[in-house]
Amino acid sequence: MNIRTLPIGVSPFDQTRAMSSSGAHPTEDAGYWSWQMAAVSERRDRDSFMRIYDHFAPRVRLYLRGLGSTESQAEELAQEALLRLWQRADRFDAMRGSVSTWLFRIARNLHIDRVRREPLWQSIGEEWIDEDIPPANTTERHVEQTDLAARIDTLPAVQARLLRMSYFEAKSHQEIADELVMPLGTVKSHLRRAFLKLQSGLKEFP
Amino acid sequence: MSPRHHLDETTVLGWASGALSPEMAAVAATHLDVCRHCRSRLATAEGIGGTLLEQQQPSTDDAMRMPHLREHMLAALDAHPNRRVPPRREEATAGPDNLPRALHPYFGTSWRSLRWRWLAPGVRMIRALRTSGHALILLRIDPGMSMPLHSHGGIELTQVLAGSYDDELGHFGVGDAADLGPETLHRPVTSAGGPCVCVAALDAPLRFPGWFARMLQPLVGL
Repeated sequence: MNIRTLPIGVSPFDQTRAMSSSGAHPTEDAGYWSWQMAAVSERRDRDSFMRIYDHFAPRVRLYLRGLGSTESQAEELAQEALLRLWQRADRFDAMRGSVSTWLFRIARNLHIDRVRREPLWQSIGEEWIDEDIPPANTTERHVEQTDLAARIDTLPAVQARLLRMSYFEAKSHQEIADELVMPLGTVKSHLRRAFLKLQSGLKEFP
Repeated sequence: MSPRHHLDETTVLGWASGALSPEMAAVAATHLDVCRHCRSRLATAEGIGGTLLEQQQPSTDDAMRMPHLREHMLAALDAHPNRRVPPRREEATAGPDNLPRALHPYFGTSWRSLRWRWLAPGVRMIRALRTSGHALILLRIDPGMSMPLHSHGGIELTQVLAGSYDDELGHFGVGDAADLGPETLHRPVTSAGGPCVCVAALDAPLRFPGWFARMLQPLVGL
């Protein structure tokens, strides 16, 4: 059993347990999506694309709602993010990142551009990625993604919570500090430690 | 250009998660545009975002909406075949008169058309008008000037665009970022040669401890 066949409504914690108890290796998961993406890019394979859609579209919608998009904005932007993946499939390179990171970046930029109306974000991040990240062995990248997932699971609870608040609510570090009644310096040092921990062991690009 | 002073981890995370104010993001983008090292750290931070996105568990309500949205998507696939999109790079970044592109919405595109305002002997400033609440300023300081000792009520994110300066934290040249928190007390001194031009975003007023600097504060308006 893997993540895609889990019954709906399973909590992330149960999901992690289900995955580890089944013995499914998450590396295969990241590889699976890249493989589907390659079929889209090379053959415009609609079935492969719809597999990606079915798995990721609800996750992108959930992420966008967390950022503050309304229900209908989230639906619209998620459709647009996935459509962009279809349209720009030839620019997706499995060796330069995972499908989930690509979608995360597109969804974030769309939200900031359309909902927050900050035009700076339209193209900027995508271009940096295209230019910078040297092609690496694809398996290596999947292992990195898997490592990252495993490392997130081992973060101290407070660090994991702050990270999720930052990513899923796009709260400024000051807002997080206010909400948790925690000094800003403490919030920042927790986040800094979390980042360094997640970064360590990942291959540094030159 | 290989900058030696970089964005703080929390600024990289803030960019990746969309948590920076537009003004902080504009200065961070100006640094990221010239710094491979920070772009690489950003790739990691976005990888964290991708991983967290994947780990989410959609609810049953979401599943109910799926068939309807799925149908729309299938129709959209027919209407939009894959197309090759050439990478977009704004030409405006190329010329010597062009300001960094992330600053265009605030200061225009051209160095020559900037209208500097006299602030103090040897110091000129332009303050961006349409901001979200954080201040965004361009500072132009003559060579060999010593700025008053100051700390920051909050974050001051500065990117050096021309010239250089030294302070308690080291030497800052073109491309370097000074990502300072409230704990930093510093007295920048600009280097000999040309003027030092910086762009800075501030999320709270500067704090000047000296009487002279306190007199200056209302003039600066920061």
